Amino acid sequence: MAAENTMVIAGAGIAGVHAAESLRAEGYQGRVVLMDRDRQMPYDRPPLSKEWLTDDTDEASMLLRDPEIYGKLDIELKLGVEVNDIDPVRKTITAKDGSSYDWEKLLLATGSKLRTLSIAGDDLQGIFYLRRMADAVAMKQHMQHVNEVVIIGAGFIGAELASSLRKLGIDVTIVERSSYPMEAVVGRDISASLLNLHDRHGVNVILNDSVVQFNGESTVEEAITAEGRRLPCQAVMIGVGATPNTVVSHPQLEAEGGYAVNEFGETSIPDIYAAGDCTLWPYRGTPIRVEHWDHAVNHARTVAQNMLQPRSTPYTYTPYFWSDQHGSRFQYFGHAKQWSKTVLRGSLESHAFTNFYLDDQNRVQAAFIANQPKNALPVRRMIKQQKVIDPEALADETIALKKVPQKSVMNNT
Amino acid sequence: MPQSEGIDPVLNDAYMYVCSSSELEEDDLFECEIGTETIVVGRGEANVYAVQGICSHAHAELVDGELDGTCLTCPLHFACFDIRDGSVLEGPAEAPLQVYKAIEADGSVWVSKERG
Repeated sequence: MAAENTMVIAGAGIAGVHAAESLRAEGYQGRVVLMDRDRQMPYDRPPLSKEWLTDDTDEASMLLRDPEIYGKLDIELKLGVEVNDIDPVRKTITAKDGSSYDWEKLLLATGSKLRTLSIAGDDLQGIFYLRRMADAVAMKQHMQHVNEVVIIGAGFIGAELASSLRKLGIDVTIVERSSYPMEAVVGRDISASLLNLHDRHGVNVILNDSVVQFNGESTVEEAITAEGRRLPCQAVMIGVGATPNTVVSHPQLEAEGGYAVNEFGETSIPDIYAAGDCTLWPYRGTPIRVEHWDHAVNHARTVAQNMLQPRSTPYTYTPYFWSDQHGSRFQYFGHAKQWSKTVLRGSLESHAFTNFYLDDQNRVQAAFIANQPKNALPVRRMIKQQKVIDPEALADETIALKKVPQKSVMNNT
Repeated sequence: MPQSEGIDPVLNDAYMYVCSSSELEEDDLFECEIGTETIVVGRGEANVYAVQGICSHAHAELVDGELDGTCLTCPLHFACFDIRDGSVLEGPAEAPLQVYKAIEADGSVWVSKERG
């Protein structure tokens, strides 16, 4: 039955852990139960494709928090618990092992799951997806005897893995289905510049092709592509995108393309909230899904506040992600499915630039920053303020970004 | 914040020259190195301060961030620190920044070679 003064959080990833901490930071005195299907203590995910592979890093240093923190904050951590069933009337959540937890309010922070491929020979050893700590541990062990790796997918995960593996001196081939990876997010010019960076760092990128078969005795030995290429390899890493993990389901819970939440993180069922990767949330009125660290942290914090003080704090966040590849640092702010024009400030050739994505009124909707961290905070402000900007001044590096003329639009929000 | 405490930094080997006072305007940040340590020096509310130049959370140079009053914001994950004492004002950082003594004397900004 419904438990007074109990908050249950399903998922102890970035969002779940930050939500639990925020409940305590806001002064919540009741029970906080934080559960996850993983058996490991909650860990950070961004380093899995980077430091974890390249450095002599142990599992302990990957933890999100010192294990003692949970005790100190009186957060009841329930690990190895796979929840799937909820009863919104009795206010319970049930795990696959039959255990059941009562809640006053429930937060779904179940994250995302990786898209998987079904390819002949994909049961061979040495083929990896990277999502959980266990995947990363297995990958790192296997990598000790590997000279050549095939990466499927030239998205950010694929690119980061390629960068890490090159650092280790491993031969890397990326196989990418499209002709311009991530064109929908960054545009064709930037996509080409990212490909150029791979090229400069000795990554072999094959475009407009896909892997259709793996061959090998017990471990993978080669990947065969649709165009008939035979790529020798001792390991394969697959990064072809993610989908929301909406494993906790109920007929009244809207979960098409992610748990639908309003600006306060409320789902379609009273007293059930959702935060992070698993949600479809309103960004300036349009439902979007964001699978990045920074959103998970901030969304979870805001939703936790609303769990305690209903509808007190709308989520007004500017989406942001960063990626480190081949010694370059990329930062992306905002969200733009389409744009009217782009403005380049800086030089693509030197990989030091900021590319702005403007709407038809010359307001900055998004920006991609390469190796210009100083632009990050001014750019974030521009996207938040939504003022009309002079594109020529924006492109002119002799004018400080802070000083680029902007004016408010009166008839628009 | 004491401005010079009567020290003559030129004669006192404990301090390192950073820049001229006029180069460091309100809310400006300036990066320098002492040995292998990166330091960021800033002018907030008229006074000069110095703290470690790399964010305590993840690798990012704080000189690329912004100083607003005495609040120093990191450009990578937007942690905020009080530049006066290095304390965390807003996460994701948890550890405070190391503080160095900064002074102004004879139209120049100097930073202590020792922490604290």
